[in-house]
Amino acid sequence: MLQQVTLSIDGAQVEAVRGTSVLDVAVEYGICIPHLCHIPSLSDFGGCRLCVVELIENSRSKVTTSCTLLVQDDMVVRTNTEKIRKLRRNIAELLVAQAPNSRAIQDIAVRCGVSQVRYPFRNESCVLCGRCVRLCTELWSARAIGFVGRGKDRHVDFPFGVRPDVCKQCQACVQHCPMTITPCDGPMEPGEERLCGKCEAQLLIAESAPDSCIWCELGVGFGCARHAS
Amino acid sequence: MPRLDTKDDLSALRTSLAAARSHVRASITVCGGTGCQASGCRAVIAALQQELRAQGYEESVHLRVTGCHGFCEQGPIMVVEPGNIFYCHLAPADMPEIVADTIGRGEIVERLLYTDPVSGNTVRAESEIPFYRAQDRTLLAFNPRIDPRSLADFVAVGGYSALARTLAEYDPEEVIREITASGLRGRGGGGFPTGRKWASCRAAPGDEKYVICNADEGDPGAYMDRSLLEGNPHLVLEGMLIGAYAVGAQHGYIYVRNEYPLAVAHAREAVEQAREFGLLGRDILGSHLSFDVEVARGGGAFVCGESTALMASLEGKVGEPRPKDVHTVEQGLWNKPTTLNNVETWANVPLIMQHGAAWFSQKGTKGSKGTKIFALTGRVKNTGLVEVEMGTPLRTILFDIGGGASDGVAIKAVQTGGPSGGCLPAEQFDLPVDFDTLAQAGSMVGSGGMVVMDEHSCMVDVARYFLKFLQDESCGKCVPCRIGIDRMLEIVTDITEGRGRPEQIDLMEELGETVRETALCALGKTAPNPVLSTLQYFREEYEAHIAQQRCPAGVCRALIEYVIDEEKCTGCGACTRACPRDAIRGEAKKPHAIDAGLCHRCGICAAECRSDAVVVR
Ligand SMILES: Cc1cc2nc3c(=O)[nH]c(=O)nc-3n(C[C@H](O)[C@H](O)[C@H](O)COP(=O)(O)O)c2cc1C
Ligand code: SF4
Ligand code: SF4
Ligand code: FES
Repeated sequence: MLQQVTLSIDGAQVEAVRGTSVLDVAVEYGICIPHLCHIPSLSDFGGCRLCVVELIENSRSKVTTSCTLLVQDDMVVRTNTEKIRKLRRNIAELLVAQAPNSRAIQDIAVRCGVSQVRYPFRNESCVLCGRCVRLCTELWSARAIGFVGRGKDRHVDFPFGVRPDVCKQCQACVQHCPMTITPCDGPMEPGEERLCGKCEAQLLIAESAPDSCIWCELGVGFGCARHAS
Repeated sequence: MPRLDTKDDLSALRTSLAAARSHVRASITVCGGTGCQASGCRAVIAALQQELRAQGYEESVHLRVTGCHGFCEQGPIMVVEPGNIFYCHLAPADMPEIVADTIGRGEIVERLLYTDPVSGNTVRAESEIPFYRAQDRTLLAFNPRIDPRSLADFVAVGGYSALARTLAEYDPEEVIREITASGLRGRGGGGFPTGRKWASCRAAPGDEKYVICNADEGDPGAYMDRSLLEGNPHLVLEGMLIGAYAVGAQHGYIYVRNEYPLAVAHAREAVEQAREFGLLGRDILGSHLSFDVEVARGGGAFVCGESTALMASLEGKVGEPRPKDVHTVEQGLWNKPTTLNNVETWANVPLIMQHGAAWFSQKGTKGSKGTKIFALTGRVKNTGLVEVEMGTPLRTILFDIGGGASDGVAIKAVQTGGPSGGCLPAEQFDLPVDFDTLAQAGSMVGSGGMVVMDEHSCMVDVARYFLKFLQDESCGKCVPCRIGIDRMLEIVTDITEGRGRPEQIDLMEELGETVRETALCALGKTAPNPVLSTLQYFREEYEAHIAQQRCPAGVCRALIEYVIDEEKCTGCGACTRACPRDAIRGEAKKPHAIDAGLCHRCGICAAECRSDAVVVR
């Protein structure tokens, strides 16, 4: 039997099924919590940390990721406090400085309010969000790709670098990769990396009314769970 | 060996051991720990055995090879009883003399005694050595008294009686109440109240539960867990048995760092012996407790010591942390309720059950009870394992035990808590060392690393060193840790290499806060500590690097200049010959000079000069 719980997200009392994550529930109710590594129906591994929220327990607040936080009765969650906005802006700034050559990442930067990038740009082609890995492992049970290496050396690869037979080249990994979506003005050559920010107008709506998702264009870019479902 | 079926069997064994040992006239204790093995204790032990045999003392003198005493820098070391005579820096060639003089005639071999580097006096008795005297050796006190490979030795000093008593007189809830009342907090870094952890694990639904001992100890320079497990494995096992009884676990694991072969061997041996004696297995000591332990080798990465990564690694998966929105006490190993504690935490448990919660909690401060072992290293005279009462001021540890600055240069800071701890300045040396005080001051007790730094250490460079370690050890799963540490390292490197900009300090502070708040596991959450604490206490050093392009400690190569003091230079030319860049010129017997353009600041000239004429500016 599905058990219902009632929790509070940004002051609104919402009902949800036990076992779902705060992120899924919030998105379903039109409360926008930016996210990247989360794909509905796949497991969450809490890698990008963009979906952080404040969980209020005994009048103390704890920062945690909403994709890995399961709803509970009487839970109190805040998704849009001053503190959260600053934290996710800083994470998005790290991401866009690392991999600016993607509309998805640029969209996330805009959505999270990044208006300047204080680090030298790099031009990496993977943000290690693990969407491809989990898709391949969990949806197709193929395990054709996985993470290899630790820390700075971590990357996605075939086992021992060779494409195994279980990989049917279905391209699902590519379709769900945020790095395969080119920036609106086309790819950025090395040395041209920048913060795009052209969609900033979209931000006004998302930031001022975060609890009333308007199916903004930014969500299309980064594969927001609301557009996906 | 007889199986111990009841509590009385255990007491009977203890009595018979005491009787069998009563004829021993004298004893020699030699440390066989990893530290002393490195300085050659095995050859010393072999020579000693031979000499005892040759001089006819094989029966009457008891030779005991023990685990680490914590004074490895003096190794190989030995204590002779009666007399408590302490000999250090031993060589095999010293053995005939020791046996003939000290054992044979009761005379002391003066040249092998320890010289206190502070007073310059020689010390005879081990108990008189200042390094030991100022400590409160409660856990470590066992190490010199037992052969870690002998269950009998452990039983002879009272081992397993806490377990017997617990099984006979307490029910599991009472054990948890006792541990909670003692105020014991985890020694593995987090300082989480042990009783509370056990209570949650006991309350978690499910019949299958696990207890795990975390002996992964990956902090550079830390070795207290190694010394405990290597030197007294049965104490750790006894603690785990009591814990298993309390939380209702049937299986246990000791997860030992891969690079600790001796600890692995001793833990395995202890487990086998305990099985033989019936202390592991079914119906232990006539109770209903059934429990067995397996020793597993670590995954070889620092992050494998993190609780969820450790459990993943035990399950045969990649040792990577997972989010802990569901705690491991509810869903840990194989998704079953699991209690994970550190080696030192487990080692405290039997003592608490033996002497009572009140005995344990009389030591320490309001929030931190008992004693804690620290690994003291760096620029102090005495280094080694230091066990003190919680709340002991830093100053006592650095000066009374450590003997103060090692070579006349003032101590500037102490870094506590391992790689992601913080640096505390001399003004803070009166702080009592306990979980809460150190955390408030921007550092932490952590697992107990303590690195002392003097005026020759550049605090920006220190921060860079620890960031580098953490960057190498980050698993790379989450963005704030993987990219955040990398960016902090980039900035700190900029600063040490003279490219720093003033606004980078604020950026680093903001980034540090973000990483601390949002990283997935405690590695990332604590990784900014070295930067944030040095920024808090040594900001002027950062500013000097940036604004004045100067490294006050003379460490950062890009910001220093080697010059020759004309007054001191004798014109001998040693530096000219040594310089790999041909950057030094000068006529014989006249003051030389360094061409700053050619010099790449390797410092070889300074090391070569016998007149100390090459100075850093
Ligand atoms: C990166 C990382 C490494 C750790 N390494 C160790 C370790 O080597 N030994 C240890 O006991 N705890 C280590 N810990 C702490 C454990 O996660 C855990 O808190 C501890 O083992 C719990 O035992 P305690 O409550 O007795 O301290 C580490 C934590 C992190 C984040
Ligand atoms: S390849 Fe794409 S989907 Fe896969 S981890 Fe990298 S960024 Fe994410
Ligand atoms: S904080 Fe660091 S070590 Fe922990 S999960 Fe994230 S990347 Fe891995
Ligand atoms: S961490 Fe939650 S969506 Fe990435």
